[in-house]
Amino acid sequence: MQITFTLNDAPIAIDAPPDISLLTLLRERLGITGVKDGCDVGECGACAILLDGLLVNSCQILAPQADGRTIVTIEGIHDETGGPADLQRHFIDQGAVQCGFCTPGMILAGEALLAENPHPDRAEISEAIVGNLCRCTGYIQIVDAIAATAEERQARSGQGERA
Amino acid sequence: MSRFTYIRPDSLPETLELLADLDQASRLLAGGTDLLIRLRRQEPDFDRIIDVSRLPELKIIAREGDEMRLGGGVTYTELIKSELIQTLTPLLADAARQVGGPQVRNQGTIGGNIVNAAGGADMLPPLTCLDATVHLASARGQRSFLLSDFILHPARTHIRRDEVLTHLSFLAPPPGARSVFLKLGRQRVSSVARLLVAAIGRVDATGRIDFIRFAPGAVTPQVQRFAAVEALLLGETPAPELFERAGAQASQTMQSLAGERWSSPYKTRVLHTLTVRALTQIFS
Repeated sequence: MQITFTLNDAPIAIDAPPDISLLTLLRERLGITGVKDGCDVGECGACAILLDGLLVNSCQILAPQADGRTIVTIEGIHDETGGPADLQRHFIDQGAVQCGFCTPGMILAGEALLAENPHPDRAEISEAIVGNLCRCTGYIQIVDAIAATAEERQARSGQGERA
Repeated sequence: MSRFTYIRPDSLPETLELLADLDQASRLLAGGTDLLIRLRRQEPDFDRIIDVSRLPELKIIAREGDEMRLGGGVTYTELIKSELIQTLTPLLADAARQVGGPQVRNQGTIGGNIVNAAGGADMLPPLTCLDATVHLASARGQRSFLLSDFILHPARTHIRRDEVLTHLSFLAPPPGARSVFLKLGRQRVSSVARLLVAAIGRVDATGRIDFIRFAPGAVTPQVQRFAAVEALLLGETPAPELFERAGAQASQTMQSLAGERWSSPYKTRVLHTLTVRALTQIFS
């Protein structure tokens, strides 16, 4: 069946079977491999994407459910030059990336949180990433990276207001 | 060859018309969080998915007079963000906040939670406390059940193949009532419940309990209000000793309804403790 949606600002129209997950559609039909296939049962969050701005697991969504919606994957998160965005830079700086498998989902969970709550405390950050498993870092560095990004964005917007 | 077809009707009447065709084995998709996992584990027992996740008729959160109406397609996140729910029935928002992680809350629906009727379904105890009525619609007409009657036992409800759970209705608790939702899982967050307790209570001007609702989850085949616990508390003055008696009664009621099980030695103690904790929170 024909499925149409917006993927990282680009229009997509694709003929796909209705019985595959959005995760399979993204990875195997569209080559969007930043979306990771971890558990396939909604436990690990490695396949997380933003669907109309909300964090969801693409393994728990049927491909045709994406029809008419707007999707952002890790491929859609970058700065103006195509390099790492601020949150991604902080992940690198804080040592929040080790094996890297959880990182796309973690970044998107972080962006979803910061879009809704620009000044989260550490408990709120932890709560925002409960659906994303990391087996390397112990989470501390990930929370640090999201907190540092929130702080930096706050400082930047404060300067913006004064200017 | 695809294992099933997919259709997304634009309205409830159109959905009911599709469901009325019993030659096709149809399965409703609301959030899909349970359905997709099941599809990975077993072959589909249906020919067609009917996606109701965008039906506006199932998205209502409204108050009509004293009655609240909550659409079956409302997601946990939508419930948590609703000012009406936060103000009138914070118990539901508290329960929804403890469901899964953000991904599941953004996608999963109240209707799905009820119709799947998992033993530890988070929304059943709070909605049972509110004496919620389940409203079903089909091309043949409408039916309604008290939620505690609607679910026969885990994973089995009265809903028929051609019906949609359109909405729930319930009365908001009386002014001044306080509520609590306690969830015990293997982890602090994002886990399937081992045991749940929902309660609503209020004391009158003389300090006596004049309103009490108590419904635990994951302890009996049918989630229900524990009448014996409520009777023990009603008209009494809140006190630690009273709460202990209520806890003992809750455990006893659980065992009389569910019988002796492998988990009984554990659940008896834990239900007692959670009951005391819930009542202490409401009446302190």
